Amino acid sequence: MIRVESLAKRFGAVQAVRGVSFAAADGCVTGLLGPNGAGKTTTLRMISTLVAPDAGRIEIDGIDPAREPLAARERLGLLSDARGLYARLTARENIAYYGELRGLGRDRIDAAIDAIAPQLELGPLLDRRTDGFSQGERMKVAIARALVHDPRNVVLDEPTNGLDVRSTRSLREAIRLLRETGKCVLFSSHVMQEVAALCDEIVIVAGGCVVAAGTPGAIRERAACEDLEEAFVRLAGEPGDDR
Amino acid sequence: MKPRLAVVFLKEIRDALRDRRTALMILVASVLTGPVTLILVASFVSGLEERASTLRVRIAGAEHAPALVNFLERADVEIEKAPADYLARVKEGSLDAVVVVPEDFHERWLAHEEARLELVHDDSRTESGPATRQAERLLAAFNRETAYLRLMARGVSPSLNESTKVERVNTATPRQRGAVLLFLIPMFGILAPLLGGMTVAIDSTAGERERGSLEPLLANPVPAWVFAVGKWLAAWASATAVVTLTMAGFLAAARLYAERKLPSLLNFGVPELAAFLAVIVPLAAFTSALQLLISTYGRSYREAQTYVSYLATVASFVPLVVLFSGAREQAWQLAVPVLGQMMVLQRVLRGDGLAWIDALVPAGVALVLAGIAVAAVARLLRDERIVFGRA
Repeated sequence: MIRVESLAKRFGAVQAVRGVSFAAADGCVTGLLGPNGAGKTTTLRMISTLVAPDAGRIEIDGIDPAREPLAARERLGLLSDARGLYARLTARENIAYYGELRGLGRDRIDAAIDAIAPQLELGPLLDRRTDGFSQGERMKVAIARALVHDPRNVVLDEPTNGLDVRSTRSLREAIRLLRETGKCVLFSSHVMQEVAALCDEIVIVAGGCVVAAGTPGAIRERAACEDLEEAFVRLAGEPGDDR
Repeated sequence: MKPRLAVVFLKEIRDALRDRRTALMILVASVLTGPVTLILVASFVSGLEERASTLRVRIAGAEHAPALVNFLERADVEIEKAPADYLARVKEGSLDAVVVVPEDFHERWLAHEEARLELVHDDSRTESGPATRQAERLLAAFNRETAYLRLMARGVSPSLNESTKVERVNTATPRQRGAVLLFLIPMFGILAPLLGGMTVAIDSTAGERERGSLEPLLANPVPAWVFAVGKWLAAWASATAVVTLTMAGFLAAARLYAERKLPSLLNFGVPELAAFLAVIVPLAAFTSALQLLISTYGRSYREAQTYVSYLATVASFVPLVVLFSGAREQAWQLAVPVLGQMMVLQRVLRGDGLAWIDALVPAGVALVLAGIAVAAVARLLRDERIVFGRA
């Protein structure tokens, strides 16, 4: 369960996020949808404790990351905007490093890799060095790395970027599986179809503000059009109150 | 479950060991440069000694100076006839020094007139120095003998001619003379940790950010200081490995080569190796921490590399400044990183006794500064401007 209230962040002259509030429930996939530069990544960075908010509150399973950053990180699995791997380590070693950093023993790490690998079709890649992996292959390893400790909350920043159709499908399957096991999944995207295919809840952000939130049906209703993509364009184009 | 610090340290070490740059650096910097330099220096030094140790004089026109030839033969000096083109050959360096006897030398000498000789040499060639000085000494001895005999013939005491007799007493033991030449071993000792820690320090900070793995790494539930300390320990370990290999290379070279050629000049054995490591390993803690701090601050891998190479330049200037400024050793210098180590290492090579304080002060200063630098790295890793890059 991730709850965000009136979050704000300024970088120099740029007010990246201005008063974002939403909640992402357990057993539910929440999509943060918005055009490039809408403040999605900054919001996710604040949730994952990498950036300190100027104002507002965050709660992860009732924990305030501002006060207990380590406990908040324990409960998160993050696919961040930057998702670099260690090129001289194998995919398995990359994943295991994060497992060890999270205090998992060798057995639990192996079990976790065995569980995740088939979902993401990682099998043949596991024992190869990640140097020379395609963008999609790297992405899969990064996702596996974020999920190795079986987190209750999963935050994915633009997870389908650079994935081909087949990999996108298997990622969607993996996300649905996470929802079925009661996880709270929060992911960002600028691709409407992506969000439409997966999300129970959609939060549309533009210019650092939430311009609409609700189920896909409610969003369509609010924009008064049948097509979700059309709704997105209309809503995201609507300036925030203070602009 | 492994402690997090060990997890970070072992990952960085594994990563570094698989880096081809590490292997190349270890091979070139430690195994090759140290011993190769030593062997070159040693053969240069022994070459100088060899040139001077066999007494040989080249003379052009020896037939005009039978008395000189007779003197030299009595002194067991090998006399060689100089080739006709001696001037050119001295210039190009294939001849060291040539004594040139004019045709009228013997007549003037017999007539007790001033008899001139020429000593042809090239001052710009340091390697011709010993041979030139030797020829000078022999000619001076011939001069003295002649004067002595002439004074005796006149019934005058020869000591009248020498109111002051200078005798040289060189207080440098052979070992100390070696240490002057082997200023180089401490120099390599100081540079080795800089080379050894560099790749790991840059790769695990600026490199980590550049390849986009810093952001997800810091999202792990591990305090930033654990990453700072783990990365520092890995850089320190790498620096220590290169220092040990470099010094072991010197030891091997000293054993295999120099001991045969220069037994007195090169006293670099196991006790000296141990003393060197005891002095340099704490220094390596500081240099690695500083490299880590600089690289964390660097905006890119390249920028970090540039800053870190400035550090190496500054560190290598310090011993040179000491050498050329002729600064006298003072107690405060012990507390200056690099300067203090340089002082202690030179004492070790000179075979001087070391007080505990001499070894502990530089080590203590280095470790305290290392701690400060690592704390600064941990602080930077919590700074979002550092993690996500600056404009």
